[in-house]
Amino acid sequence: MKAYYGRQLLNPKIEARPKNLITLPTFIDSVCQRCGQKNTEKLPNNHYYCCGCLTLGRVSSHDVLLHLPEPNEFDGKAALSWQGQLTAQQQVVSDELIQTLLYKREHLVWAVTGAGKTEMLFPVIHHALQKKYRVGIVSPRVDVIIELAPRFRAAFSETDMVVLHGAQTEDYRYTQLVLATTHQMLRFKSAFDLLIVDEVDSFPYDGDKMLVHAVKHARKASSALIYLSATPTKKLQKRVTSKDLTVSYLPLRFHQHLLPLLKTTVVGHWRKKLPSKFLRQLKKFYQEDRRFLIFVPKVSDLRRVYQGIKQCLPDIAGDYVHASDPERQEKVQKMRDKDIQYLVTTTILERGVTFPGIDVLILGADEPIFSENALVQIAGRVGRNHDRPTGLVQAYIRHTNLKVIAAQNQIKKMNQRGRRLGGHI
Amino acid sequence: MNCQMCQNYIDNELSLLQTLGLLKNQKKLICQACESDFAVITMSCSGCGRQQKSTQLCRDCRRWQQQGKILLKHTALYQYNDAMRSFMQQYKFNGDYKLRGIFNSKFIQIIKSLSKDVIVPIPVSENTMKTRGFNQTTGLLEGIIYQELLQVTTIKKSHQSQFNRKARMLRQQPFTLKESSISLRGKHVLLVDDIYTTGNTLYHAADLLYSAGAINVKSISLAR
Repeated sequence: MKAYYGRQLLNPKIEARPKNLITLPTFIDSVCQRCGQKNTEKLPNNHYYCCGCLTLGRVSSHDVLLHLPEPNEFDGKAALSWQGQLTAQQQVVSDELIQTLLYKREHLVWAVTGAGKTEMLFPVIHHALQKKYRVGIVSPRVDVIIELAPRFRAAFSETDMVVLHGAQTEDYRYTQLVLATTHQMLRFKSAFDLLIVDEVDSFPYDGDKMLVHAVKHARKASSALIYLSATPTKKLQKRVTSKDLTVSYLPLRFHQHLLPLLKTTVVGHWRKKLPSKFLRQLKKFYQEDRRFLIFVPKVSDLRRVYQGIKQCLPDIAGDYVHASDPERQEKVQKMRDKDIQYLVTTTILERGVTFPGIDVLILGADEPIFSENALVQIAGRVGRNHDRPTGLVQAYIRHTNLKVIAAQNQIKKMNQRGRRLGGHI
Repeated sequence: MNCQMCQNYIDNELSLLQTLGLLKNQKKLICQACESDFAVITMSCSGCGRQQKSTQLCRDCRRWQQQGKILLKHTALYQYNDAMRSFMQQYKFNGDYKLRGIFNSKFIQIIKSLSKDVIVPIPVSENTMKTRGFNQTTGLLEGIIYQELLQVTTIKKSHQSQFNRKARMLRQQPFTLKESSISLRGKHVLLVDDIYTTGNTLYHAADLLYSAGAINVKSISLAR
């Protein structure tokens, strides 16, 4: 029965179901009650199904949704096993988050990449767990979830936590702490007292009405919602200026160093032949034994760039990875474990992942796939730890365009604010 | 518009003739890359439609003959490869009924070219009808007239895909004839299924149709 607390799960009408469950219709006025979208496709005999949330199992008029209200059956004996210290600026934000929880508000944390957002969350989550609140931490990106999982497990080692995303097999169980992709929120209903959405501006959450609906319905009517982003969308920024959403700024990284700037170099047809400037840089990385990421615009560029590098520098160990790569997680793990020195990647690794002490090269940064925010995020992969708080962010472009300049300016602006707080290079 | 299989965006650029309305613009449901993953059967066994190097009868079909069956002269359009498997997964088991449109027009075009008097689809159980909500075979047949003369008798039918070959071959007649006004006496019947795996289902169905007076039963499926 616990499996139904705060959930909404599909069941065929004709199948027997446990007693005492609340049965909800799957459609009201042909709006899917799981994903809130009106996107139905006909079945024979006047039945129909929802195309919006088909990937999570089909919702049809042959089914019902089963639900039990969230009873918060927790003991409240949460311990924070994280031993670190927050910086003064982080502490300010962290206190504001506790206020958010107290007043059950919506709140945005606008913090630069590498500001230590995850650590700032620990106190407010700890607070919520002690109050027997159910806490959800979600992100549109599965990589972010995979990266966060061990950190939360370590910080709240005594609290049971379930990790849910499409690329795995862990069975659902009723836990106080839930770490999941935003898609998984479609299976929850009025469950969370505190819901945290990390990387709220990223694909596919940004501009996806279904996921916005999912997050809204997964939290209780009276609950706190915290958005985290280094590069909030214009829409969120507008809500901040119109006082619809409270905000905490954190323009400085936890180690008090400024963000590395985005440097550009104009090159020729890099798809035809890898630029010599680029190869010279790689040679330098190789000699100094520095690890790095290479971002390319398209999946079809990956293999070609990788092979080009292999030809010129056969001794340097690397790999390439893209979104639908079956070995995606293994390859990223190899990079994390320092088994390989570099990864050629598409924008999937633009955010939410930390490889300590890396540098970043971007081929074709002027192409449309790299938005202003994507470039800022990519630059934010560099200089994320104490030992090496800075690094190289080099973009190879064929033409300068406004987008690249806008990204450079955004970083400069954040650094200006950071300098006021005492940041340095 | 996105590809129904891989969800990538399809650029439906109109050619000059299509822009001028001289050529009908057929909206594509799947992208070129996914379409090319489906393997068309080119040369096949004349008994069961299996892809092979000659049209000679394969071992399975000779066995059917030894059992005294009249061969179905089965026609199949595509090989049952990974792409077809994932199509069936999405269409049948995830129940995405709109995917029938991917093969519908091609399938009925070929059916129209075959000689027959009556088209009979393989039925699904009542239970499947109430959970899946559709018969995957009749979905593919949308647009032509067919007669649902068969019904599934077994009360609780488990999905065939859970059985291995031996278990499948041991299954008893799963169908019965519906009472209907159509007489099969002296008719040429075309049986339709989504996939031909062992042939067991179709031969069981054919037995019934022959006993009802059909003089000839052939069959067709999307995949083999």
